[in-house]
Amino acid sequence: MAEHIVSSFDKELEGLRASIAEMGGLSEKMLSDSVDALVRRDVSLAQSVIAADPRLDMLQRDIEERAILTIARRQPLAVDLREVIAAIRISGDLERIGDLAKNCAKRVLALSDGFQSQKIVLGVENIADLVSEQLKDVLDAYAQHDVAQADDVWQRDGSIDAIYTSLFRELLTYMMEDPRNISFCAHLLFCAKNIERIGDHTTNIAETIHYLVTGVSLPTDRPKNDRTATLPEVDAA
Amino acid sequence: MMAVQPTSVSAALPDAPRAAPGDERVRIAIRNLDFFYGDFRGLKSINMDFRDRKVTALIGPSGCGKSTLLRTFNRIYSLYPEQRATGQILLDGRNIIGNDVDVNELRSRVGMVFQKTTPFPMSIYDNVAFGMRLYEKLSRADTDERVESALRKAALWDEVKDKLKNPGTGLSGGQQQRLCIARTVAQQPEVILFDEPTSALDPISTGKIEELIDQLRSEFTIAIVTHNMQQAARISQYTAFMYLGELIEFGPTNQIFMNPGKKQTHDYVTGRFG
Repeated sequence: MAEHIVSSFDKELEGLRASIAEMGGLSEKMLSDSVDALVRRDVSLAQSVIAADPRLDMLQRDIEERAILTIARRQPLAVDLREVIAAIRISGDLERIGDLAKNCAKRVLALSDGFQSQKIVLGVENIADLVSEQLKDVLDAYAQHDVAQADDVWQRDGSIDAIYTSLFRELLTYMMEDPRNISFCAHLLFCAKNIERIGDHTTNIAETIHYLVTGVSLPTDRPKNDRTATLPEVDAA
Repeated sequence: MMAVQPTSVSAALPDAPRAAPGDERVRIAIRNLDFFYGDFRGLKSINMDFRDRKVTALIGPSGCGKSTLLRTFNRIYSLYPEQRATGQILLDGRNIIGNDVDVNELRSRVGMVFQKTTPFPMSIYDNVAFGMRLYEKLSRADTDERVESALRKAALWDEVKDKLKNPGTGLSGGQQQRLCIARTVAQQPEVILFDEPTSALDPISTGKIEELIDQLRSEFTIAIVTHNMQQAARISQYTAFMYLGELIEFGPTNQIFMNPGKKQTHDYVTGRFG
């Protein structure tokens, strides 16, 4: 796209994009580290995830502040306005992704004493792999302003929901088998839910990218396969 | 987690026309309009509609023809023999370019407010009464009533009601512009043309004029030329982007400023026009 007549405007927009990229890199690392920490029961890695979160929060505030200043100074229009609004929205999603990864890491600390089945932990890792790929793809789509890739991420969230639903059933089975599994499984269930929610945030980001590039919003109903809220077991529990 | 619904940012811009454009009454229809300054073709085959009780903004770089277009609506150009228009400008279906049109009557129906404030060297009262006295014979009481009503519509009454005999030239720039608007409104026109009405005013006066234009649209069809794109975005319902005498894009204001269809429009509204 052609440059603005006022070059400092371009620099402000580039600065916002660069900060989003930094937040994206950081949140990706927090997600993968929190899952590694869970799988390997690595307490110090979990602590490093918790320690990384304030940086993400600070970046989000900084982006928000600079976006507001850009609106006040430049009164951006059309794609420029969408770019600034997208930066605000995406930084909010990435900040929440960091919080959810941090929450997972905190549960690793809580789980470290009574660790039981590695097999079921791998189920969580499985869903995390899918979500990590979603996150990576959506960040690439943002960097490239690639609407097709963003739409693809938006479509794929349904499969994450489906895996989460099956993991949910599996964990319920473990809990019903032996009440001593409940504490462990409940923590894992929260980890899985946190990761599934990270997936939801990647679809939010995909929606924002679609709007940023095309100026048109995606439909409000996106593919959903998370059926845990309607499973009969939930009512029984 | 509920997905955040990306709401339309354009909702912040004023009153998007919700009805399909065809549902609103067309007040001025322009068909194949060309305009010539001598041999120079200043407007090239313009086709567009101005809708009743809407504000239509004309934007574009200097020399693009937006003021030229505005000035065809009341045939101000007829003052200059080397200037001529061809094509049709249909005001309520009647072509105003034709020779059979009474230009004075036309100008009483299509009022105009200019960039430079133009108070006459007379009292505030007489400034407002001047135009209507040209066209109508009114009693003193009726004139008083029309002057007050016009000054109220121009949001100036409260500031001048105790000094109507003072000269109009003694008012501030913003007040003078509202006085000019009152003078236009007093003639009870159907269409009001604004040619950069706030470009010489401070931000507070500009705000008052913008507020006023928004109120006036309940009674009048308004066309405004402005260099201030944010102003066009704030006060108009339709926007036309012109470049080098051509109408490049015309549509609902929200669309022109949030998601323009043509690259030239996009580059202009985002400040990328080289």
